[in-house]
Amino acid sequence: MSIDIGTPSLRTGTELVPAADGPQTGKEFTSDQEVRWCPGCGDYAVLKAVQSFLPDLGLRRENIVFVSGIGCSSRFPYYLDTYGMHSIHGRAPSIATGIATARADLNVWVVTGDGDALSIGGNHLIHALRRNVNMTILLFNNRIYGLTKGQYSPTSEVGKVTKTSPMGSLDHPFNPISLALGAEATFVARTIDSDRKHLTAVLSAAAAHRGTSLVEIYQNCPIFNDGAFDAIKGPEADTHLLRLEPGTEVTAGGRTWAHDPTAADPADQFAVSRLGDTAGPLGLGGPIPIGIFRQVERPTYDDLARAQVDQSKAAVEGTPTERLTRLINAGDTWNVGG
Amino acid sequence: MSLGSYPITPATDILHELSKHKSFGVTTLQAEDEIAGVGAAIGAAFAGSLGVTTTSGPGIALKSEAIGLAVMTELPLLIVDVQRGGPSTGLPTKTEQADLLQAMYGRNGEAPVPIVAPQSPGDCFAAAVEAARIAITYRTPVMLLSDGYLANGSEPWMIPDVDDLPLIDPAFATGPNHVSKKSEDGEPDEFWPYLRDEETLARPWAVPGTAGLEHRIGGLEKGDGHGNISYDPANHDFMVRTRQAKIQAIAKSLPPLEVDDPSGEAKVLVIGWGSTYGPIGAACRRVRRAGYHVAQVHLRHLNPFPRDLGEILARYDKVLVPEMNLGQLSKLLRAEYLVDGIGYNHVRGLPLKAAELAEAIGQLVGQAEGIDVDLGEHGLNPPADHEEAPLS
Ligand code: SF4
Repeated sequence: MSIDIGTPSLRTGTELVPAADGPQTGKEFTSDQEVRWCPGCGDYAVLKAVQSFLPDLGLRRENIVFVSGIGCSSRFPYYLDTYGMHSIHGRAPSIATGIATARADLNVWVVTGDGDALSIGGNHLIHALRRNVNMTILLFNNRIYGLTKGQYSPTSEVGKVTKTSPMGSLDHPFNPISLALGAEATFVARTIDSDRKHLTAVLSAAAAHRGTSLVEIYQNCPIFNDGAFDAIKGPEADTHLLRLEPGTEVTAGGRTWAHDPTAADPADQFAVSRLGDTAGPLGLGGPIPIGIFRQVERPTYDDLARAQVDQSKAAVEGTPTERLTRLINAGDTWNVGG
Repeated sequence: MSLGSYPITPATDILHELSKHKSFGVTTLQAEDEIAGVGAAIGAAFAGSLGVTTTSGPGIALKSEAIGLAVMTELPLLIVDVQRGGPSTGLPTKTEQADLLQAMYGRNGEAPVPIVAPQSPGDCFAAAVEAARIAITYRTPVMLLSDGYLANGSEPWMIPDVDDLPLIDPAFATGPNHVSKKSEDGEPDEFWPYLRDEETLARPWAVPGTAGLEHRIGGLEKGDGHGNISYDPANHDFMVRTRQAKIQAIAKSLPPLEVDDPSGEAKVLVIGWGSTYGPIGAACRRVRRAGYHVAQVHLRHLNPFPRDLGEILARYDKVLVPEMNLGQLSKLLRAEYLVDGIGYNHVRGLPLKAAELAEAIGQLVGQAEGIDVDLGEHGLNPPADHEEAPLS
């Protein structure tokens, strides 16, 4: 049997998160902890972009929570002066689900990497996406395991030579965008660490989206996988990139259409995600699409869960003490003695 | 409270039941797996709820790493393990007490977790309240060790008066707790997430949304007080000992044990924990009815042990430890008190049988007192239906 769970009015963006009293600065969002990534790591650029973009959200700093798993990028929360948890490998989406479901007034972020999100935490990622829990997931994809010093990851290309694959990796990689679309995520985007403007625009849209937003960020690891994204950076970049905007003309499989991230049916968006060869070395197999692939509205799990609690509360009478007394006195009871 | 759980026999009924009680503000999440269940509970705890996760032994194995995270982040978390026959899938629908050492030690590193065990179906309510008290007061994960026998059993339950239930105060942090060098008036001006309460050694619980208390926690070792990442050897040694001391400090809040020794002349003590309370009590009464002396004590708190336990054990010549495992409590008692407890161990997936246990107690009483013991009709020899006429 299934019943109509009701369709509560759709919430949008961050309307339930208290607004800041006045303008804030990036400095206020910067913690006093020394940043510990290798020199030249792409993570620095993303951190800078996030620190300078967060004030623009206009939310109270104490209502922002960053949760991460394990990996180089997962040190991210330590560097932001918000609430944060550096959790365990792969589990950040589940912890963020608990936070977002417990509190409507928090703006929740997950910082994860290709190993964290797609290997050990693959299960939590797809389930967060299908539930559409209100959180923004930043997936730093450097196509390598950095923290453990250079093993192939679930996004490394086939044939990748690493310490654990001296004869070339045999694993066929995930395309995180296709994966997220397959899991029916409501917001899916890709951007690049070195393109500050694009990164900021995509993050703003992701943060404003109510539901799970997945943002894949191509991030260079100069130590263990240097140059993985060189083809789509630098002067030649635009010949190797397809910058997606609503209405961008896309041609695939003999068909041409105007990209529509808001289309309910994800089929065309999926077709866009297959453009360019993200399984091989980037840039060889045609332009790689970046931008927003999908942006649709669907009630979030946490809003629905809270609505059920509110509905149940509204349906009962009496103080909590009276109700608890009623509950524990229900069923078979009898009096003993005097 | 927020429950994160994954269906597993014989614990699923808790998820079923709590799912009905949303009107009390209960949120239940049926997670994608055991790990996500505890993960969501930890997230909810960070956000200011009592995080709860319910499972059986195999689920505890999967949750272990996350429980370690809750130990490290010192967040209140209630973990219910409704034990079943193991190892592996084992006997899912049968009862056993073989997760005690898993509850005690089943994590990487020194990761102490308090353990509370209900002794009867009717005691589950009070034991759960007690476990929640410990979790919230001491900011720690707590293991509530039930089992299939309790989960599927029933008995009359004295309905408590709601007003008599203890009030458990989360005492959320509301402001700075540390005086920095920058403070001009000597008043606290910054928040240190690992500055502890002197009495309980608990750290402050500062929930998101509280201005000025923004902080980061995680699984990496914390510097004492300020809570920033620390690799300092002396600090790690200190923090490992402090986390242990915090759990030990719970013993100060526990009531003295009640020893059932009606004649006061017993030389043999029978000690158990959890659901064996019923059969052990019945066995002891059989022995007494046959005219012999035996004492019984039952443990609700298995970590830390009550403070008077060592002294009680020392009072008796022989200590019998009946368990539905191969001697896990025996091991803990021996390690803690150098007591050479004698195991009485059955792992048949069934509750202990009072008449069989009575015979074992009788034999031990015989050895301890240098007498011949014959329980007659109170032991295995029929008729053995004696519970109708309780010993007055
Ligand atoms: S190993 Fe690579 S990803 Fe990690 S911090 Fe260094 S450069 Fe960055």
